[in-house]
Amino acid sequence: MTPSRRPMPAAQGTPGGPAAPGLTEVFRRMEGTLQQPCRTCWSGGWARFRRNRTGMAGAFIVAALYLMAVFAPALTPYDPVSHGSLPEMRHRAPGGDHPLGTDKFGRDVFARVLYGSRISLTISFLSVTISVIVGALAGAAAGYAGGWVDAVIMRFVDALMAIPRLFLLLTCVALFSSSIPLVIILLGATSWMATARLVRGQILSLRRQDFVVAAESLGAGGRRIIFRHLIPNTLTVMIISATLRIGGIILTEASLSFLGLGVPQPVPSWGRMVFEGREALLGAWWVSTFPGLAIIITVIGYNLLGDGLKESFDPVNFG
Amino acid sequence: MAAFLVRRILQSLVLVWIVLTITFFLLHLAPGDPMARYDHPDMSRETVMRMRGQLGLDRPVIEQYFIWAAGFARGDFGVSFRYNRPVGEILAETIPNTLRLTVASMALYVVFGLVLGMMSAARRYSVFDRVNTIVALFVYSIPSFWLALMLILLFSLKLGVLPSSHMQSLDSASLSGIPLFLDRARHLVLPAFVLGVASAAGLARYMRGSMIDVLREDYIRTARAKGLPERSVLLKHAFRNAAIPVVTILGMSLPFLLGGAVIVEKIFSWPGMGGLMVEAIYTRDYPVVLAVNFVVAVMVILGNLLADAAYAALDPRIMAGGKDR
Repeated sequence: MTPSRRPMPAAQGTPGGPAAPGLTEVFRRMEGTLQQPCRTCWSGGWARFRRNRTGMAGAFIVAALYLMAVFAPALTPYDPVSHGSLPEMRHRAPGGDHPLGTDKFGRDVFARVLYGSRISLTISFLSVTISVIVGALAGAAAGYAGGWVDAVIMRFVDALMAIPRLFLLLTCVALFSSSIPLVIILLGATSWMATARLVRGQILSLRRQDFVVAAESLGAGGRRIIFRHLIPNTLTVMIISATLRIGGIILTEASLSFLGLGVPQPVPSWGRMVFEGREALLGAWWVSTFPGLAIIITVIGYNLLGDGLKESFDPVNFG
Repeated sequence: MAAFLVRRILQSLVLVWIVLTITFFLLHLAPGDPMARYDHPDMSRETVMRMRGQLGLDRPVIEQYFIWAAGFARGDFGVSFRYNRPVGEILAETIPNTLRLTVASMALYVVFGLVLGMMSAARRYSVFDRVNTIVALFVYSIPSFWLALMLILLFSLKLGVLPSSHMQSLDSASLSGIPLFLDRARHLVLPAFVLGVASAAGLARYMRGSMIDVLREDYIRTARAKGLPERSVLLKHAFRNAAIPVVTILGMSLPFLLGGAVIVEKIFSWPGMGGLMVEAIYTRDYPVVLAVNFVVAVMVILGNLLADAAYAALDPRIMAGGKDR
């Protein structure tokens, strides 16, 4: 079927290359049969996941949180930012019109917690996406290239991991005035190292496998091997680790906001709300308590979901 | 072994150097001015310029870098912009405080983590194990600053049994010996609990898994079959082997504890490096930021080295197999 076995110069379509177009197509199709999407594993995983009680509980919590964030205006009549009339609205105890009480500016705590979920969910989701992309690229480059590229990338990863993330973040936050995009980028940029290690390990074991060797002998270039064969096969691992990491990112964002270095005022952020409540802890405990509980529920939701995904899809790599 | 350690240390120091150099240039090229807080009508421009000159801030960044780097190599961390004192002196005051907090937390962390993990594994799927797992998941998800505030609310404000801030009482100068020690211990309880026990949840989960793996081994069945009491099977046979992989986790948990110390020190007004770092960030006190990052990185690297060495000492297979990264 194939007249010549010489490697193709570039598999990602250089027009007018030396090989006849028909031949490229043949190689493409051969390569396509190499990566089996393994439908059975996936559907088996989903079936296991649906039976996994912790995983389903996590999925339910996370879904409910997203729904609440989206429909926040329908769930509360109050505005999370504008101040109430101070003398009579300040520090109202929970109950009646204000199920979770009001803060020192007379703002409804329930409304602020609801709107705060938008900030937490958005920031954590985008940051973890950045961290997974950066980590996957770095890990794939290190694992596939090997040699000095691997050494440089992994030593850099080691160095970044030697400085506690909060110190790293504080140092970076000092450089710019804080804003939501900055917080997202910084959280992503300081949490990709674990993904890089994970993906590198995966790639090291994958690249010895037959389908990669075969793709290489069919002439696929490095970039193509990485993006078509290696990264798709590490996706499961990446998604699980991202889900497990997102709780930590939420906690870190809350810590930054608590220190006054995260999301700027007057955007309602859970960490900042806990901080603001600490002045009146004894008299108005609800101001700090409920945003903290919101953080805990969110983090638990993601951790349960991650555990469930891990147990259903990939019990091997995550011990 | 010695050559391996020396190579690791040298490698790590080079890394720290690179990270600090990047940090230096980022800090100095970014917007924001350490002199901004002297911006006051009473302050003449000449005075500010003279202060800039004294602190070396009027020189080109490259020159500042070499001055800083040369000092750093000699162990001179420079002068704090804010306190106008050598950074080394400030660090000498704050490092012991952070160490006191970190060591106490580490002790709680290890004891709670290992013991709870082991007990869970020994009674796998029992009510105790289930409750333990649920509590661990809950604790694992609590933000430390929130836990700290709730404990302050309960134990300091409502019950009034434990102090809510600082390392010792205001009148502690009049105390000595055992009363002084007790006073300090009382101040240590809440911060060390928040930092240590909250992190122990993760360790307990890990220890449980490791212990369950070990309990499946043949030699455990042998030990039980020859009639050893369960207690000694667990403590003597299983625990030792289950603890080996956990040692690595201990080494890796140091950055976590030091990072957590930033928050805990801030809440409890603990005069340590975390609080110093946050203040230095607010006031753009670059020499302090760089020095704190350096000290923390060195502590973390030492922690990892210790963990590696302990790992090798506990498990002879590692050196025999020639573990080399």
